[in-house]
Amino acid sequence: MPNQPILHYPHPVLKKVCHRVEAIDATIESLVADLLDTMHAGPGSVGVAAPQIGVTLRVCVVDVSASRHGKDNHHGQLCMINPEIVARQGLAVMREGCMSVPDYTGDVERATAITVRFTAPDGALREIAASSFEAVAIQHEMDHLDGILFLDRIVSIKTGLFRRKSYA
Amino acid sequence: MTQQSETLHYAVSVVGKDRTGIVAGIAEVLFRLGCNIADSSCTMLAGEFAMILIVSHPRPFTKSKLHDELKPVCDDLGMSLAVRTLHADEIIRQETSNEICMISVYGADQPGIVYHVTRELAALGVNIMDLNTKLIGTPEEPVYVMMLEAAIPAGQTPEGMEALLGDLKKELNVEIGVRIVTPVSL
Repeated sequence: MPNQPILHYPHPVLKKVCHRVEAIDATIESLVADLLDTMHAGPGSVGVAAPQIGVTLRVCVVDVSASRHGKDNHHGQLCMINPEIVARQGLAVMREGCMSVPDYTGDVERATAITVRFTAPDGALREIAASSFEAVAIQHEMDHLDGILFLDRIVSIKTGLFRRKSYA
Repeated sequence: MTQQSETLHYAVSVVGKDRTGIVAGIAEVLFRLGCNIADSSCTMLAGEFAMILIVSHPRPFTKSKLHDELKPVCDDLGMSLAVRTLHADEIIRQETSNEICMISVYGADQPGIVYHVTRELAALGVNIMDLNTKLIGTPEEPVYVMMLEAAIPAGQTPEGMEALLGDLKKELNVEIGVRIVTPVSL
């Protein structure tokens, strides 16, 4: 499957609430593959949500295992269909950027630990306890499924002053 | 022709006693003139409101036109005004791949905290991107707080920076902390 171009705000799809996936069929399998390819194609990307490639379905992928913030605490490659956060704990601020909002960053407060329930591509219901950067990445990607961008959550007016070059 | 050569850029600063309507007053003039506000930063400093704006306008346009239109509004608002034309090489977005750190410095107020700390940072090759200072505490025990965001040299770590600033910290008897705030890409 080819990687897909990442849509940039103000593309309207990025502000849509996505639909639940009712059945895992070939379309969903293909979507998951596209999301993975797109994530792997992005420089240092740790996650992509379906609306970022123009699909308004509640599907996202996350993999922080190769990033310096997540390499010691992760669940590897996560393909999440209809993910739901069933528990959250702690709060911490991290300065986030998003491939759909280039050249801008902002301080966002998120739970430091979450329990997330989702359907895996094989149809199995999974529940994982994620923390630290993986938890932040999951929350960021899941926000996309509700049409929420990090811009909607910035808690501090201080923003990045320059284009980000390094994503490692 | 590039966008830079078709567009003129100006640095505008407006400072004066705070009151309501300052931003609206300045923005109204810029809107009427067809100027774009690109990057801007406006903040309260003690009782003063300070605006710094990078403003652009397509050619043809002049600095004197911008100044002459802003001046009466600034006079009405009791604000000082400065307008400077920016050259094309000044408006290129600054890029860095270095680690961005928040450096916090605080301690009993004394002359020279900003000078001594920033001189040391400059010598270490640290590029300051944002700096805020505030005098807090009581008149009897004034405390000076300085927060700055800076790009530290490639290969340098927050711990390394703190170690390099250790002598200065002792000398000034202030706290100096360095934390990474480099954005994460999601």
